[in-house]
Amino acid sequence: MTTTSRQRRSFSRRASSNPARRSFIALAALALGVAIAAPAVADSTVIRLGYPGVGIDNRPFGYGDNISVAHIGHFIEDEFKNDPDVKIEWTFFRGAGPAVNEAIANGQLDFGAGEGDLPSIVARSKGLKTKIVLAADTRDPIYLAVKPDSGIKSIDDLKGRKVAQFRGTNLQIATDRVLEAHGLTERDIKFINLDTGNTLAALASGDIDGAFGGPEFLDLDRRGIVKVVYSTKSDDPAFGRQASLLVTEDFESRHPDLTARVVKAVVKAAQWSTDESNREAVFQGWTKSGIPVETFRADFAGVKLTDRLSPIIDEFFIARYRAQADRAKAYKLLRNDVDVDSWFEPKYLNQALAELKLEDYWPRYDANGKKVATGTVEQTQAATQ
Amino acid sequence: MTVTAVALRPSVGSTHWRAVALPIVLLLAWEFAAHAGIGDARFLPSIESVAARGWTEIVDGQLLLDIAMSLTRDIAGFIIAALIGVPVGLALGLSRFVERVFGPTFSAYRQIALFAWVPLISLWFGTGEEAKIAFVALAALNPIVFNSAEGARSIPVQYREVARVLTFDRWQLLRYVALPGAFPSIVTGLHLGLIYAWLATVGAEFFLNLGPGLGGRINEGRELFQMDLLLLCVLLLGVIGVLLNKLAGLAETRLLAWQKR
Amino acid sequence: MSVIPEPGYLEAAVDALALSTDRSDRRTCALPARWARRLQAAAVGLAFPAVLLLLWELSARYGWLPAQILPDPRLVVETIQEFVASGELLDDTRISLMRVAQGFLFGGLAGLLLGVAMGLWPRFQAYVDPLFLAVSQVPTLGWMPLLILLVGIDEELKVIIIAWSAFIPVTLNTYRGIRAVPARYREVGQVLTFGPWSTLTKIVLPAALPTIFVGIREGLANSWQTLVAAELFASSEGLGYLMAWGRQLFQLDLVIMAMIAVGAIGLLFNWGLGSIERRLRRWQVAS
Repeated sequence: MTTTSRQRRSFSRRASSNPARRSFIALAALALGVAIAAPAVADSTVIRLGYPGVGIDNRPFGYGDNISVAHIGHFIEDEFKNDPDVKIEWTFFRGAGPAVNEAIANGQLDFGAGEGDLPSIVARSKGLKTKIVLAADTRDPIYLAVKPDSGIKSIDDLKGRKVAQFRGTNLQIATDRVLEAHGLTERDIKFINLDTGNTLAALASGDIDGAFGGPEFLDLDRRGIVKVVYSTKSDDPAFGRQASLLVTEDFESRHPDLTARVVKAVVKAAQWSTDESNREAVFQGWTKSGIPVETFRADFAGVKLTDRLSPIIDEFFIARYRAQADRAKAYKLLRNDVDVDSWFEPKYLNQALAELKLEDYWPRYDANGKKVATGTVEQTQAATQ
Repeated sequence: MTVTAVALRPSVGSTHWRAVALPIVLLLAWEFAAHAGIGDARFLPSIESVAARGWTEIVDGQLLLDIAMSLTRDIAGFIIAALIGVPVGLALGLSRFVERVFGPTFSAYRQIALFAWVPLISLWFGTGEEAKIAFVALAALNPIVFNSAEGARSIPVQYREVARVLTFDRWQLLRYVALPGAFPSIVTGLHLGLIYAWLATVGAEFFLNLGPGLGGRINEGRELFQMDLLLLCVLLLGVIGVLLNKLAGLAETRLLAWQKR
Repeated sequence: MSVIPEPGYLEAAVDALALSTDRSDRRTCALPARWARRLQAAAVGLAFPAVLLLLWELSARYGWLPAQILPDPRLVVETIQEFVASGELLDDTRISLMRVAQGFLFGGLAGLLLGVAMGLWPRFQAYVDPLFLAVSQVPTLGWMPLLILLVGIDEELKVIIIAWSAFIPVTLNTYRGIRAVPARYREVGQVLTFGPWSTLTKIVLPAALPTIFVGIREGLANSWQTLVAAELFASSEGLGYLMAWGRQLFQLDLVIMAMIAVGAIGLLFNWGLGSIERRLRRWQVAS
């Protein structure tokens, strides 16, 4: 027997007066509405910069490059302070370079600010479309820190030991080169992938025998918790790392003017930070990351600020990236070849140098690291000593 | 992870004092050890220092914000999972065709350990809020779909026969037969989904750590060797988990009772 | 008009088909009905994954999604071949399985012991239960930071946390299973003047076995889940480590390969224990 249409209508009326169903629908609609409305808004342009690293206990401050100087000194914000519809957004990634890559791949960043050579090379090999517009730091040394009682005195003693290394960052490739020079490969060592925070904790508690890293260890070394037994500073400086300011091709094509101004702001920051008379001030600024000032003094001992913080994309810088790409492929960190030459876009840098009259400010080096042009910054002197 | 601690009843009656005996003894031993300096001082903060830390974190710090953020991610992911999971589960349970075509794939997907998705999610979504919420939703999806399908599959034959007698069309079948029949299982699935979601929220913050959240504070406590912060947060983790479980259980009984009417 | 298909009409159709092939001449092979049904189920079940694979292949060929979101399936296949050939995949799998085995054995045994104790002695259970309940509410991962501080990030951490994740369901189910043994079974033991040990081994445990087994199965599933999480965190080898490597170096093909391995092993565990469980149930019902 078929139900009469009247009966069927009464069924449905009773059903829609069901309170649970109605509130369910309301909730669903609300959730949907929120999901749609959230990404909307914003007539203004937001410039999203991603920095690969965090300070001690996740403080959103970096150190060791001219990007962090720009951040701490608000150089970029100052550049745009008269543009109310341009906002600057910084994000500090605990996951360092790899995390910055993920964010760029998902369209969540416009600038990889200070991304290391290896992660940006890896990203490029995967088709991530970026352009290098500025050098963030060069010749950045790496250190090997070990537990004092581990019996490790040099790289050669590392065979078979448990060592922490932040994989995928420019630390990895620098480490691999050092190992290669001493006749070792990654397989000879039990490498554990740990980020900086976890590395420090693991070293302090003795979970690992040693760790490769940056100046974070120098403080622990001073306190006797670890011993720094190796540094590329005393070895071949070509084993150092690089980092750069990258812009996504998408952002660059949509806002070449904003790109140029960001570059100009960082150049200004670099100008200030490579001036030797500002040496102490630069170190003091970096203490915002929670790392004590003595660490930076030790890290930069015997090194001129301009050697590390110059923004110039010269032959040396390009050659370093080429070499790293080669090595990365050899160490099987990459699958395909990477075209490094078409990656650099120095026109914004040159434009900024011309505008700020800084064409002769910084020295330039050739592919082998020999100086081919001196810079006026080299005549600046540190205030003390 | 499968969960079995859903509806365990403690023994009742005159053994009440026995129930609290052991915990009290342990707490006293803890306090004593902490004050007497037994064991590594770093690893054994006294109970009042944990409580004091809790107080300072709420007043001066952003502990409440962290908890709120974690809960928000939890609920958001859970809602998404519920909205997707219940219809999918019902479809799987009701339609032979859907079961045969999509069932095996779903079974295979269920085999992949939850945390195996973390690297994939971080590569697909980055490490922002979407990634964490996606992970939570993924975790809750599992029990919700499974239980909804089970419920739909085990609708008593009499219900179906009634539907056939009244010659319901597909929508009426759904509304008057399938949903009520599968309702208890759906609710169980949602309850389990809530538990899994909380599990995943903690895990997500551990691995996709960016932004405020309880998991981030736990990391902080660990890295800075601040045992009081660490213990405090682990405690909160458990307490919130218990509360969510209780709430879900209450809602479940309420809803089932309402359905009986 | 009603459009509810008769439940089982598909079955009837397949049966008819099978029967007809049975009856017909030797040209068509006479497949037994069960195999015909199984084949058909397999074919239908594989249809959807096949479509997904096809979409994946097309997406890689026409670049619908960037390579870092969805790598070429052929690349994944190559990677699998590479890792199988070099033995790396096998090594990592073996290491992961060893960790699970160790942790699961410890946790499972401990859980059995505690569950039996709680099941047999209500007084003991009264003391222990609330504490147990409380700590079991903290998600296993929540204990990890604490454990890391106490035991470091080495093998002990992984084995302990895996053991813990197995311990809880095994304890719960063992305890429940023993409690659920009907009183008359124990009375039989009394009639036959069994001592406590005989009662335990000949009556209580066998009766509780199916429930205990559910706990064991859950414990193994939990162990596998926890292993992946623990290895993702800090490891120098294992399947989780492979995934972490893939993530750090943006090699999605590695991640996918490791996920397939993880899923396959999970499937094996489930299926293996599931068939044992089914056999146990049949045996229990029969007895």
